[in-house]
Amino acid sequence: MPLFNFNNIKIAGMACAMPSNITKTETFKDLFGTEEVDKFMLMTGITQTRRTSKHQTAADLGYTAAEKLLQHKNIDRSEIGALIFGTHSPDYRRPASAFIIHKRLGLSIDTAVFDISLGCSAMVYGIQALASMMASSNIKKALLIVGDTAGKTTNPLDRASIMLIGEASVAILLEKTEESTPIVSLMRSDGNGYRYLIVPAGGYRNLEASHENEICHDGIERNLHNSMMQGTSVFTFTISDIPKLMKDFWQLTNTTVDDYDCFAFHQANLYILQQIAKKLKIPPEKMPLTLSKFGNTSGASPIVTLCDAFGEVEEKELNTLFCAFGVGLSWGAFSAKINTSDILPIIEDDTYFEEGVINSMKEL
Amino acid sequence: MEKLLEILDGIRPDVDFVNETKLIDDGILDSFDLVSIISELNDEYDIAIRVTELKPENFNSTEAIMNLVQKLKNNN
Repeated sequence: MPLFNFNNIKIAGMACAMPSNITKTETFKDLFGTEEVDKFMLMTGITQTRRTSKHQTAADLGYTAAEKLLQHKNIDRSEIGALIFGTHSPDYRRPASAFIIHKRLGLSIDTAVFDISLGCSAMVYGIQALASMMASSNIKKALLIVGDTAGKTTNPLDRASIMLIGEASVAILLEKTEESTPIVSLMRSDGNGYRYLIVPAGGYRNLEASHENEICHDGIERNLHNSMMQGTSVFTFTISDIPKLMKDFWQLTNTTVDDYDCFAFHQANLYILQQIAKKLKIPPEKMPLTLSKFGNTSGASPIVTLCDAFGEVEEKELNTLFCAFGVGLSWGAFSAKINTSDILPIIEDDTYFEEGVINSMKEL
Repeated sequence: MEKLLEILDGIRPDVDFVNETKLIDDGILDSFDLVSIISELNDEYDIAIRVTELKPENFNSTEAIMNLVQKLKNNN
């Protein structure tokens, strides 16, 4: 079981950026009917989401979050030794979007830079990867950026997903410290569920994949370039495997639910989180939620939620248990102490990297 | 069986769970109904329904659901 301990690395700051454009869930009533939309809002808790404009990407939002964080913390950029971007919504097939962020942030060439191809679990895996790199190197500061714009690949007629998805990116600053503030991380995966959340086209398996819509098993129209989620399978995996992960984590770390001040969980949907909290006896006041305001913002969602809940809260230490799960299947948890003074309030930003929009090969 | 009917009626009071035999095939239950049913069954019968059990034949009728519950209880 991959359990990691990092004893002298801390989360020194976090920030979140999202677009200002709000989509109200009830506006879908004309398309899907009042009964269906009301039931969706009741089960998921989602009453609105944020969506990027045509050319704005997760990397743009990640850049904005990281830029504000570096400014706020007054960080010397030459000290950033690694930058990882966790996303399923890259700017290009290649290069990795982390390089675009690296350029825009003006980081040094003495920086290890790459993307991690993960969705909802990207933050948990990104922390582990970054902390591992720092623990075995002379890197003192590093950035993890996580974000997705999954709405761009969702068929507008896909009532199972189009109302669910919110778009945002987050930036997390890791720093070496003399204090003993351990980060402990546990991760799991199951490739047998690779079809439960998938965009079948866009990779190298089927370069000539059709763009024609088809009626899927659930009666919803999609094409091969759209996201497809087998919601019931994902739910069934979640309510059995996430409580098990948490119980194993507590056993391995000799802790209980009472040892944590805050449970920053992936905001999948309200019903799933309620079921998990019930099984684990997590008090609702310790599990902040942002589904109603921002929807399911993929890998960014635990940090989105912390920025929303604590972005304006002064100096307060929180022993926090993070947990995320989703596409892969992939799931994991980590614990860390964070200070609310290191959490920035949510930033709204609609700008994008205009130079990055390449409409003709002649531009290159 | 009575307890199961009570659970199902609680989730979808408008469905005839005594007589319907194509709850999934005919699209009578949607994915939200199904996840609610799975969650209630897991809690009530102390079982863990896995993804491999998510076949229409296991949820098309009350009898099929009861058979699934019994099978999982016996495996516990």
